[in-house]
Amino acid sequence: MNQEEVVDALAGLSLFADLRRPQLEAAAHTFSEESFAPGQRILRQGFQGTGFYVILDGEVSVQIDGKDRARLGKGDFFGEMSILLGEPPVADIVALGALHALHLSGPELQGFLQQNPAVMYRMLQSVARRLRNANRWGN
Amino acid sequence: MTNRRRASVASTAEAKPHPPGDYPVVVVGSGPGGLQAAYVLKHLGIDHAVISADPSPGGMFRRFPFFQRLLSWTKPHAPYPQKTREYEWYDWNSLLAVEPENRSLMPPLMDGTSEFPSRPEMEAGLSAFAGQAGIRIRHDTRWEATSRDGDRFIVHTADGDYRAKVVIFAVGVAQPWTPSTPGVEHVAHYVDTREASSYRGKRLFIIGKQNSGFELASGLLHWASRIILASPRPATLSVNLHSLAGVRARYVQPWEDSNLGGGCFILNASIERIERHEDGITVHTRRSDNGEPFMAEVDEVIAATGFQAPLGDLTELGVTVFGQSRLPAMTNFYESATVPGMYFAGTIGQGVAGLKKFGIPANSGAVHGARYNTRLMAEHVAETHFGWVRERPVIRHEDAADFLLTEATTAPELWNQKSYLARAISRGSGGTLHDEGIVSLADFVDSGGPDAIAITIETDDTGDIHPAVYVRRRGRVDGDARLDGSPLHEYRTTAHRRELLSLARGVIRGS
Amino acid sequence: MALDTNAKREWMARVALFRGCSPDALERLAERMGEVEFPAGHHIVTQGQVGSGLYILVTGRARVLRGDDLIADLEPGDFFGELAVLDQMPRSATVIALEPTTCLGLASWDLIAELERDPQLALNLLRELAGRIRFLEDQYIY
Repeated sequence: MNQEEVVDALAGLSLFADLRRPQLEAAAHTFSEESFAPGQRILRQGFQGTGFYVILDGEVSVQIDGKDRARLGKGDFFGEMSILLGEPPVADIVALGALHALHLSGPELQGFLQQNPAVMYRMLQSVARRLRNANRWGN
Repeated sequence: MTNRRRASVASTAEAKPHPPGDYPVVVVGSGPGGLQAAYVLKHLGIDHAVISADPSPGGMFRRFPFFQRLLSWTKPHAPYPQKTREYEWYDWNSLLAVEPENRSLMPPLMDGTSEFPSRPEMEAGLSAFAGQAGIRIRHDTRWEATSRDGDRFIVHTADGDYRAKVVIFAVGVAQPWTPSTPGVEHVAHYVDTREASSYRGKRLFIIGKQNSGFELASGLLHWASRIILASPRPATLSVNLHSLAGVRARYVQPWEDSNLGGGCFILNASIERIERHEDGITVHTRRSDNGEPFMAEVDEVIAATGFQAPLGDLTELGVTVFGQSRLPAMTNFYESATVPGMYFAGTIGQGVAGLKKFGIPANSGAVHGARYNTRLMAEHVAETHFGWVRERPVIRHEDAADFLLTEATTAPELWNQKSYLARAISRGSGGTLHDEGIVSLADFVDSGGPDAIAITIETDDTGDIHPAVYVRRRGRVDGDARLDGSPLHEYRTTAHRRELLSLARGVIRGS
Repeated sequence: MALDTNAKREWMARVALFRGCSPDALERLAERMGEVEFPAGHHIVTQGQVGSGLYILVTGRARVLRGDDLIADLEPGDFFGELAVLDQMPRSATVIALEPTTCLGLASWDLIAELERDPQLALNLLRELAGRIRFLEDQYIY
């Protein structure tokens, strides 16, 4: 995709749904597009310095010790937990087919969220949903 | 058809080697990537043809960069002598060779006034390499189209067809790209920039705040009366990012001028449309911070908006491309992820991101990183298609830690391609250790294999440079470990040895 | 116990959720936060009910229960109730005062307005939630 196409793709993802065009363009220039071959790991259990990814196209498997625990697809994002906590991921993220994703480095994520509170609010809602689904804690 | 064409060029065989026909491998391109790939194939004894649309070697360095010198250093005086492997870290612009006489060709060609070569010096260096290393290139032979015939690729040229099971495209990432903004016809691309003095007294608008935009601004700073640099994303500096991804130190002058308010301006804005009128050009922008419109009156607009890989009709054969630069989706060995047998050399290899730890990319978009990727790719081709067997010398257990720490301290592959290439030792049957050579770190940590240990150099988010160690046990690498940094990057110490051996438990004996 | 705006602001500055927030943000929050006192044994929030705010425990102690399962005991500086604000679903647990307990309460709309206005508060909350998810060791996280 070129940057214009990335802007259109971002506009269709719920995480970026509240951004206006100039903000979407800045976001499209901030993220870089990456491609992964089937079977490649994108996040690696126990590895430091990981990034934040938003899936543009394709599907990934969330694996702990090689066991499939969940699937993520277009529009889903991952990597933010490790960056926010400053700890390595406790799961592998593995491309199931050819995967296209947008990448933002860990050090850049915090600045991006602070400049785009609307994206952060969407991310908060998503994390809150996950916490509720974790079904043990929260209220 | 092919035979007739072959006959017609027979008389010029000296001037035009590699006539159309069947070859084990065809390499397309005669820039650094094509030359490096051809060199390694030749060295490994794999017959191949090299074709190039250009009249001489050099690739993009026959034209770029315009005003400035290259961004990559060749330091004539270094801690290690020229022609050694270790010197490659101090000489980013020479291609790799095994024979000492073909190494370090750049330093003697440079006039000594700068450690950054000029464009003609770089072009001369690449020509010298092709000549000295005996790389024969069929010039003025443009790859026009590509097709399949069973398990073979057919590379069509005006001279005739080339057939091969393996094709290596080394065509660079130098095809100008301009966004489809309304009024883009009033915009010149970076590649169409004229001689600097022709911008005397002009008000200039440069779209793009990457190195090419800042290179133009630096080169035109004392000619233009006003320079505006604009793009949606704030510019970043290499010294802040700890990598070559940001604006290089050499091009910071326009930034300083803008901080002082001195006729150079840096805007974060998206470009909405460009209108020509009798007094000049109006650029309509929208500011990224508050969404407000902003207009600039200028005389000329230049788009420093980047380049794409000129992959021609390869997508019709099934090659998937991605990103602004339309890079092919590739494996860790630079083979198309969707069309087996098709490989890529040179700067196109930047499409293989690797681990990108702490967001820091490898240097695959420049000669100093790409040359190692290309060597890895060509060796992989030799291994998987032509039965070449890599030598895996035995390493004594008591020498293993010192061997790895010496690599961490001096290996040019590890320093040029941080967190991307690594030195690995594997443990074979009976516990014998073998040197696996330079490996792709992503392949090492993801592909399984015997118990092994790999060492690389990494930079973290604070800018600290240190060795990192990855240990594979029972086919898995479960985490990374960093060794301590060192003020002068010397890791051959007792403390590092102790730390490394404790990480290598079960792989290196005596740990 | 009656906290004036100043006292509330000073107290909030020591709570992890508000770390790094601007003095202006703390001032706005302090003005909008109401002090609520609960006797021992009182249900501060009840699982399954619709909730409309965030609570920060100032003095006392409270227990978080899901059904009959003890989830956690809360101490001064801890907060609860944010999930119902963020996803507007019913309360996912019950919180009972274990002793006379004072909380600061912030209405949903005031919290949302402040989250949109102060990225630091949103980032702190995001970190806190991420930490809680990671704490659930039988759950995957990534």
